[in-house]
Amino acid sequence: MGEGQREGKKPIVELDGVGKTYFRDKEPVVVLDNISLDIEEGSYEALMGPSGSGKSTLLNLIAGLDRPSRGSARVAGQELSGMSDSALATFRSRTMGFIFQAYNLMPVLTAVENVELPLLLTKLSRGERKKRAQTALRVVGLEERMNHYPRQLSGGQEQRVAIARAIVNDPRIIVADEPTGDLDRKSADEILTLLEKLNKEFNKTILMVTHDPQAAERATVIHRLDKGNLS
Amino acid sequence: MSLLSIAARNLLRNKFRTIFTVLGAAVAVLAFVFIQTMLTSWSAGVEFAAKDRIATRHKVSMILPLPKRYADTIREVPGVKHASYFQWFGGVDPKDKNNFFANTAVESKTVFDIYDEMVVAPEDKARWLADRQGAIVGAVLAKKMGLKVGDRVTLQGTIFPGDWQFNVSGIYTASRRSIDQSQFFFHWDYLNESVPEPQRDQVAWISARLDDPTRSAEVSAAIDRIFDEKDVQTATMSERAMNLSFMAMFSAVLSALDAVSIIILVIMVMILGNTIAMGVRERTREYGVLRAVGFQPKHVGLFILGEALTIGVLAGVVGLGISYPLVELMFGRFLEENMGGMFPYFRIAPMTMVAAVLLAVTLSVVASLIPAYRAAKLSVTDALRRVA
Repeated sequence: MGEGQREGKKPIVELDGVGKTYFRDKEPVVVLDNISLDIEEGSYEALMGPSGSGKSTLLNLIAGLDRPSRGSARVAGQELSGMSDSALATFRSRTMGFIFQAYNLMPVLTAVENVELPLLLTKLSRGERKKRAQTALRVVGLEERMNHYPRQLSGGQEQRVAIARAIVNDPRIIVADEPTGDLDRKSADEILTLLEKLNKEFNKTILMVTHDPQAAERATVIHRLDKGNLS
Repeated sequence: MSLLSIAARNLLRNKFRTIFTVLGAAVAVLAFVFIQTMLTSWSAGVEFAAKDRIATRHKVSMILPLPKRYADTIREVPGVKHASYFQWFGGVDPKDKNNFFANTAVESKTVFDIYDEMVVAPEDKARWLADRQGAIVGAVLAKKMGLKVGDRVTLQGTIFPGDWQFNVSGIYTASRRSIDQSQFFFHWDYLNESVPEPQRDQVAWISARLDDPTRSAEVSAAIDRIFDEKDVQTATMSERAMNLSFMAMFSAVLSALDAVSIIILVIMVMILGNTIAMGVRERTREYGVLRAVGFQPKHVGLFILGEALTIGVLAGVVGLGISYPLVELMFGRFLEENMGGMFPYFRIAPMTMVAAVLLAVTLSVVASLIPAYRAAKLSVTDALRRVA
């Protein structure tokens, strides 16, 4: 699964003067303003801040889901600001793993099929895809539930399947947007422990948006955003 | 697992909606098959017209009469093997005036030389020729009216007023299924002798059988040239053209049926488009996840097209599945027995089946184009924010 330490500590995310402006009825709304941030490979960092502070927007920019209006966003050695939609999609499939608050599993697919989903974009054989998906489920401790549908799983189990989906393509970075937001304390702790494991044992760079101070404490670095600025 | 198989499985998420959508589209397929079969059956006379038969009618209109003597002239034209004349009678059964069937006064000695696909037993034919009031009745009509050889029948004339008495001399069947078996033939001489002087010695059309079918156009032109200088000029045409000109009288009905067929297809597109759009809206967030993990907009589009394709195939198959028993076994048999004059062979043509399935699939895909395009164009972040 993991590649071990890649090349020591170096920035895998380099943001320089990044800004994001949306337009609401032709009125510009500045969501992020002149953000500069480096994140080292293999680190586990949290983004905190009040609602509307721009946390998710910043996470989206780093993940290649959106493009900055200004500045430079260099992630895993690639400048994202000038990339086409298609190039960004390829970048995400090779570099990023996503964990969402609401798990976002496909209800018609079993756990192992949900995990296999990102591998449909690869040239792997059907057997190899399934093998990798099973391995990812083993990492998150859900191998015995691989043929269960999401409706047959608890919230914590669903999120673990989502984590398996996020790591199945062996991404360098995992972005997690409120990964414990919908979970009880016990399940949340299990998920946070799992993220720690992925960070420490598999050297995954983890960037997590959270409102939960207990979740943020697990990270090695905490960034605070307020009104589009890093404090 | 593939994108297409996931798309197909997505349809099981809301089984109720999927079942009703497929059934709705299948009913549209059924209506399409029914109308197309009706049109095909109606035009069977054109489709199966004999290539070696031509028909001569009044040049102005087929409702105007020709002199009977023209038949003798036509028999002398080189290339003509047999000729026989016919007159519309337009009689109705006084006991059941809504029971429409073709009844025609024919030249008894020659009619079966022209229409040899009508099969009459030799003893029936002999009985008919010997009886001035004899009639030959199609098997379907005989069954419907409960007629058998020896029965006496009264028809009420509409073109030639009065009650006309006939004796059923024989029943004809057909060696080809496209032949209408609900006709009623009797002696032209009986009609001619019974009508007032001004109406005598007139016929509606003259059919001729040729030695060589490839000379049909040439012989037709030769016949018309003969009568060019006479008081009554003729228009001679192949049986196919004659049947077409007869059908042209119903062109408004046929066009209306075609229009109904198109309206049904438009309704089908709207039903499918609505269902697919609802499904897409509910799953927008999932498409956002697919895009986030690296799927391209085209994959999302194909995903939605895959769902539509599955619905289309199901609708086509289910539609044909219900069409066969309903159209062919129920309506078809009923129409053949009760309206055999118009629908002598009411069966679903293979081309209609292929067209129905192809249309169901194509229209499903067409209906999904706008939802697929919109979903593919949605930004990933917008899609992920969307709450169904």
